[in-house]
Amino acid sequence: MNENLFTPFSTPTILNQPATIPIILFPATLVLTSKHPINNRLATIQQNLIQLTLKQMMMTHNAKGQTWSLMLTSLITFIAMTNLLGLLPYSFTPTTQLSMNLAMAIPLWAGTVMVGLRFKTKNSLAHLLPQGTPTPLIPMLVVIETISLLIQPVALAVRLTANITAGHLLMHLIGNAALALSTANFSLTLLTSTLLTLLTILEIAVALIQAYVFTLLVSLYLHNNT
Amino acid sequence: MPQLDTSTWFTTIMTMLPTLYLITQLKLLNTNHYQPPLTKNSNLQSHSIRWQPKWTKTCLPLSQPQQS
Repeated sequence: MNENLFTPFSTPTILNQPATIPIILFPATLVLTSKHPINNRLATIQQNLIQLTLKQMMMTHNAKGQTWSLMLTSLITFIAMTNLLGLLPYSFTPTTQLSMNLAMAIPLWAGTVMVGLRFKTKNSLAHLLPQGTPTPLIPMLVVIETISLLIQPVALAVRLTANITAGHLLMHLIGNAALALSTANFSLTLLTSTLLTLLTILEIAVALIQAYVFTLLVSLYLHNNT
Repeated sequence: MPQLDTSTWFTTIMTMLPTLYLITQLKLLNTNHYQPPLTKNSNLQSHSIRWQPKWTKTCLPLSQPQQS
């Protein structure tokens, strides 16, 4: 039972070759690029969505923060596409792999810290001590703030991994239960409706992408400006 | 947990890096955001109500038979 539940999260292989390579590359091919001023509906919708998220995200930054706009837009596009494609049955979601999320979180977080340390050294170091703390508490509070800073990338990665994995697991479990109870007909409707609502709530996986980029954004903003 | 099997970590990370930092960014760079075309200001004052004879001569090339 344990082995059966977790097999969707092991990296897929086709004839012992890693199939993760085309699976990770595939969502990027869904971004439509065209040179025409007026495109078809799908391309226009996609372009408008990207433009909307770009403007919403980058409004709060000054000029220096806006140099990160391409990075953050591609981040949110990549994670959103990957998570939405993972909602299809029998598909593999790369964002369930802790490896990928760590490899995304650590360099980006480190980049924001280094930008802050390089251009506003005193400001970013001053964040380690909140204003108005009584003097005996200062050493302990610096340690606490340093730990909370260092745990940011781990929290980013584990948050994304755990949320997507837990959602997929729940869908598997509830689907299996609904199937097993289909012989006793009266509870089938209740379970399938639960599965359906859980699936729509899981479309809030897209909200998780917002959470990911937003937290990354917040740390960038903090390191850059305040 | 199969996510903690580190044998596949290298492949996954190495595939994700060019996808995120190269392909998606290149695709987003190649989308052109065109501004909606500005409507031309038609100056209504310069339109005269009646036909002016000199306009009719230049606008109708077939009405000038001497140039062939």
